[in-house]
Amino acid sequence: MNKQLRGGYHFKILWVDLTSGESRVVPFGEEFALKYIGGRGFGAKILFDHLDRIKDPLDPTNVLIIAPGPLTGLYLPGAAKTHVVSLAPLTGIYGDSNMGGNFGPELRQAGYDALVITGRAKELSYLWIDDDDVAVVRAPRLAGKGALDAERGVKEELQSEDIRVAAIGPAGEKLVRFATINSDWSRNAGRCGMGAVLGSKNLKAIAVRGGKDLPVADVPGLRLLTERSLRDLSNHPMFEFWQQQGLMSVIDYLNTAGGLPTRNFQQNVFEHADQINGFKMEREFKIGDTACFGCPMSCGNICLVKNGDHKGTVTEGPEYESACTLGSNLGVSDFASILKGNQLCDDLGIDTISAGVLVGTMIEAVETELLTPSEVDGMKLEWGNAGQITKLIHKIAQREGVGDILADGSKAVLAKWPQLKPILVQTKGMEQSAYDARATISMALAYGTCDIGAHHTRAWTVGKELEAGSKWTNEDRVDIVIYHQTIRPLFDMLGVCRLPWIELGFDERRYAEYYSIVSGIPHTLDDLLERARVLYDLTRLISTSRGISRADDYPGPRMFELPISGGQYEGRVVDREQYEDLLDLYYEKRGWSKDGIPPAETAETFADSLS
Amino acid sequence: MPKRLSVVPERCSGCRLCESACALQHFGVSNPKKSAVRVIALYPHPTIRMPVVCRQCSHPKCRENCPTDAIYIDNGIVKIDPEKCVSCRQCVISCPFGAIFVHDDVPTPFKCDLCGGHPACVQACPKGALQYVPEHELGEANRVASVLRYAHMKEVEYVEKGEPKKLRYAQIGREQSE
Repeated sequence: MNKQLRGGYHFKILWVDLTSGESRVVPFGEEFALKYIGGRGFGAKILFDHLDRIKDPLDPTNVLIIAPGPLTGLYLPGAAKTHVVSLAPLTGIYGDSNMGGNFGPELRQAGYDALVITGRAKELSYLWIDDDDVAVVRAPRLAGKGALDAERGVKEELQSEDIRVAAIGPAGEKLVRFATINSDWSRNAGRCGMGAVLGSKNLKAIAVRGGKDLPVADVPGLRLLTERSLRDLSNHPMFEFWQQQGLMSVIDYLNTAGGLPTRNFQQNVFEHADQINGFKMEREFKIGDTACFGCPMSCGNICLVKNGDHKGTVTEGPEYESACTLGSNLGVSDFASILKGNQLCDDLGIDTISAGVLVGTMIEAVETELLTPSEVDGMKLEWGNAGQITKLIHKIAQREGVGDILADGSKAVLAKWPQLKPILVQTKGMEQSAYDARATISMALAYGTCDIGAHHTRAWTVGKELEAGSKWTNEDRVDIVIYHQTIRPLFDMLGVCRLPWIELGFDERRYAEYYSIVSGIPHTLDDLLERARVLYDLTRLISTSRGISRADDYPGPRMFELPISGGQYEGRVVDREQYEDLLDLYYEKRGWSKDGIPPAETAETFADSLS
Repeated sequence: MPKRLSVVPERCSGCRLCESACALQHFGVSNPKKSAVRVIALYPHPTIRMPVVCRQCSHPKCRENCPTDAIYIDNGIVKIDPEKCVSCRQCVISCPFGAIFVHDDVPTPFKCDLCGGHPACVQACPKGALQYVPEHELGEANRVASVLRYAHMKEVEYVEKGEPKKLRYAQIGREQSE
């Protein structure tokens, strides 16, 4: 029985088997809750328990876990996040991706700490979770619909605006390996291809509505602390600017620093950056702010194209990653086209980062004659040609012609065209996020050792190394990467957004205070960090069991081979010898073998049961 | 001077901090579904986020339609008397704004009571989309805007290098910024 925990959990996981159409509520115990905390922790553990049974990421045997955290839905800044975990279609290894919006809070209000989906529905369906009532509803009429249309369709069918919907677009249905799950209009679980997992299960959408109280041990304490938090955030000198531009301010920051990926990572300064930056957006396109549940920072920008070819296009976004991968990285300087591309990716349900990097690779391949025009269906692929780029994105989502190859992601592209290896920037089959790593070798290590592939959310060390890195030893670099890979996943376990901490100097110890207040058990930040640190061994185990080892822990060859062109770091590449040293030291500190494998007894520490 | 809870939808980001704060204030729980203010978000056409909350009408439809006279006005605030209320929910569907709410756990419909003059939602709103202002200020933004619109259409005559010219207020400052 639960003795200590007085809040944070309903102690219920909703388990849905789409093959039989049946759902059941699985309870879990206090030890499980405290050890894995929630979100990414619950997801990784449940995936680990099922690993032996999973034949392939797109097979009905795969499990998809949607898990908010113990702080999700509460009255505190950024309490919006929900984590999606599954064996990833893009990489074949541990995969996760999170989304904000209102879906996670609603799922918690329905009384569940996690939702687990297995099996495969006979025909296209959606899942309807109405508090305690759960139903799998046939929905052939939603076939082929965009994610935004599907969300509207489900809300209309259920005749309520008071529900939250997560849906996939046509790309998810077509099993594009970087398909997203889109919720609350434009909040995507973008990476790893979680949308394809839903597609493989014939599940077009998940609708949820809940009205339950969220368990909190010390309610007055929560109110007081959040009043202080809201005051702290709004007093930050960058608060207002952040509300105005959100992540779009990063374009200028990186372009000035000489780190804005341009034309498939060939250059680091985009000559038209002023055409795609936050000020351009504010002046000509922005019509409103939007925020995830419970967040005062409202980093979402709602933009409208008021004239020209894309007139009438409305999108929530872009944020930095999309503006870079669909903008500078493709040589596109027309902001309206970026908005259109962003809206298209949301609706088709594909990841803007993977799509942008793959399209950029194609353009460069055609330009440098690594591919012939006929190999790309005779398309006139060139930098900045937004029309052709849009067409290629459509082809990916619909799996037409060359799009069918790209839709299977980097691994498939390299299998078909090995000559693209030097120019396709990826790790473990995941296309790299929009931050260069050549001027900051710690970022190269961050990409190499990120548990899902070349993604920036596990560790982002660019800013710190640019500021202070010249004095760093290798050990400093490894330490900062591991610290990031510990604290950032902690946010994913608690179910909160990391941006208040990153952008507005929100003290990370505040989250330990929150967890203590909510759970009723005093915790220090170190207590929580230890659980997050151990979890990195678990996600590594999942991936090593699927064949990952040292050989996979490198950023794309381009980071070692092609010197930076443009900006103050001109000529820099990642030093291979130093990288090997960093990797050795990294494994040593993790307690993994020289080949990057955790010791055999590690698995036993995760053999505990849910109850 | 009586004060009014006023909504500026253009500023709302849809974060729902107001909902959480309201439910904590009135029911002591973290549950936006027990809030007397609700944010409705529509997308993509038209795009809007807007908090819905009681306007404390002087001639409330909810009171007019209440079969048991449970609704009364106390010092400008529309209130529901739980003793008289039979929970028929007539008020919920009568309110033209949809600003009266129900929840399974709560015996009678509930609505905004302005928190005794210090609305928790206003304090929590990070965007200034909810304002608690003296009644006479309502509409002031529109009054000023309409005067500005008129003024911007006006033309000022002046002479430059001996030539008479006309300038519209609306043009001033535009040249430099472009």
